[in-house]
Amino acid sequence: MEKILEVNDLELSFHTFAGEVKAIRGVNFDLKKGETLAIVGESGSGKSVTTKAIMRLLPESSSEFKNGQILFNGKDLTKLSDKEMQKIRGKDISMIFQDPMTSLNPTMTIGNQIMEPILKHQKVSKTEARKVAVDLLRLVGMPKPEARIKQYPHQFSGGQRQRIVIAIALACNPQILIADEPTTALDVTIQAQILELMKDLQKKIDTSIIFITHDLGVVANVADRVAVMYGGKIVEIGTVDEIFYNPQHPYTWGLLSSMPSLDTAEAKLYAIPGTPPDLLYPPKGDAFALRSDYALKIDLEEAPPFFKVSDTHSAATWLLHPDAPEVEPPLAIVERMKKFPGSRYYEGTEGGTY
Amino acid sequence: MAEKLLEIKNLKQYFNQGKPNEVRAVDDISFDIYKGETLGLVGESGCGKSTTGRTIIRLYDATDGQVIYDGINVHDKKSKNDLKTFNRKMQMIFQDPYASLNPRMKVLDIIAEGLDIHGLVKNSKERKERVVELLETVGLNREHADRYAHEFSGGQRQRLGIARALAVNPEFIIADEPISALDVSIQAQVVNLLKELQEEKGLTYLFIAHDLSMVKYISDRIGVMYFGKLVELAPAEDLYNNPMHPYTQSLLSAIPLPDPNYERTRVRKSYDPASHNYQDGEEIAMREVTPGHFVYCSEKEFATLQAISN
Repeated sequence: MEKILEVNDLELSFHTFAGEVKAIRGVNFDLKKGETLAIVGESGSGKSVTTKAIMRLLPESSSEFKNGQILFNGKDLTKLSDKEMQKIRGKDISMIFQDPMTSLNPTMTIGNQIMEPILKHQKVSKTEARKVAVDLLRLVGMPKPEARIKQYPHQFSGGQRQRIVIAIALACNPQILIADEPTTALDVTIQAQILELMKDLQKKIDTSIIFITHDLGVVANVADRVAVMYGGKIVEIGTVDEIFYNPQHPYTWGLLSSMPSLDTAEAKLYAIPGTPPDLLYPPKGDAFALRSDYALKIDLEEAPPFFKVSDTHSAATWLLHPDAPEVEPPLAIVERMKKFPGSRYYEGTEGGTY
Repeated sequence: MAEKLLEIKNLKQYFNQGKPNEVRAVDDISFDIYKGETLGLVGESGCGKSTTGRTIIRLYDATDGQVIYDGINVHDKKSKNDLKTFNRKMQMIFQDPYASLNPRMKVLDIIAEGLDIHGLVKNSKERKERVVELLETVGLNREHADRYAHEFSGGQRQRLGIARALAVNPEFIIADEPISALDVSIQAQVVNLLKELQEEKGLTYLFIAHDLSMVKYISDRIGVMYFGKLVELAPAEDLYNNPMHPYTQSLLSAIPLPDPNYERTRVRKSYDPASHNYQDGEEIAMREVTPGHFVYCSEKEFATLQAISN
């Protein structure tokens, strides 16, 4: 598949009164046409900053690209002028924000807000733009779009507002859609509707999606591939099946085991001890080592490189080094691995599903 | 699990009563909470679950109905002293650990506030010792007592909120979405802490949340609310394996699970309140379909449900 976006060795820092916060410390990934890449991680892991860097939405006064490239169709987005970036933003790459309550302008009708990017980026008349806006609203499942286009954001519910935000993001048929926790502020039933809508639209207009979330259930639902971020780095990346059924990094193990499943009644929930690292003083070596039960001596001294597990799957943990001792993952993870052909715990009974 | 700690009878909480914009946030609900159990309360935002919790602890005065705690109605007229003794037994942990701690107070004073009000400590030395003890119970330490709330992370702040609730040795704690604002890995820490404390101190919890997988994990029984009504109440395991009310079924079918294979085949049910087709004059009430499993239904639906479950 064709690569549409490539992020190479991205490093980014914020300058604060306390010092330099190394928010992104060498991130590499690519996005293929038509796929959904989910980025998961805790708050402060750098997932939102990564996407804001792609959109160039970070304050220039305090943030600084230290190293690396963001290649979009061969153009390095980190090097573009503000004016060039404005041509891309909202047209080729657009974004859906977390909070639909605050990301719409309360003093503008939603029709005008949907028409804004169309009028800005395309040479069309207002009447045509309005027609497109009505079509978009219909596309995102809004009943009576002709009438509702004249209404203001406060006249809509949370789920409807998120639909409007999606309509705005899709207005210029973007090649990449970045969704930053688009369903976190919504109820589960509404969340399910919005996720279905996004998947449906992706098929229709063939866009690539970067989906940021901390909810692993949502990831399992929407993603083709998953990148797990921790302490400003990607620690594991692979297809959704590889991450959920054959995870290799202890942090991914921790994340997956700390979610209770609906069908098992564990006595005690696995909790990752401690707190995420302070990126003012990023730890030497593997950032997760201090919270990990599986840390090796080398983890504290040298940051692990990426080890390949398969063509699509790699993880940054010394446990994959040929000299590393073989460790037993947590029980919940072993249970998951049993379902994955190619993992060492695979029990080949129910084959054929992959 | 026999002894009733709390009986909620026909509780109603209407806002703007009698005005055109009247909101029936809690509309005639009844349930019991037994000693030592965790009762989970779930539902969408705006369904009245938080209002229920806040009305039980008398942050709101109930429009109608009773909350009977150990045989005494909470909402009866009370002298200041009676109210004080009652407040010692019942405490609350709030949702937002950033908004529920006073930024101008030191942790020591935040946690000791309850001790001071109820006169539980004699001198400042004892006060400090008690606070340190509480901090250690929730996994923090002595040094934290002299800091301010902004110096803590979200998970640590929620621990402070728990320590504050525990300060007066309550029997019953209402936890209103205590983990919603926290990261996944930190959520597990706080939930484990709540469970440990329950075992140690024999606490009873009302756990309000919208994250259904966490609720199932922590609760013994779960109540599902929809538009101010309790529509189903059952033991946790039973509710998940055998949801009877169509709204519960729809809610459960909407939860995404961290399992791609399951997600590929999950079918979401939607709930349409009109599907019940209730006739005029039909009495709709909580009815016990199987032992301990209550469903809000009409006589006719009740007969059908019973036929299915037998």
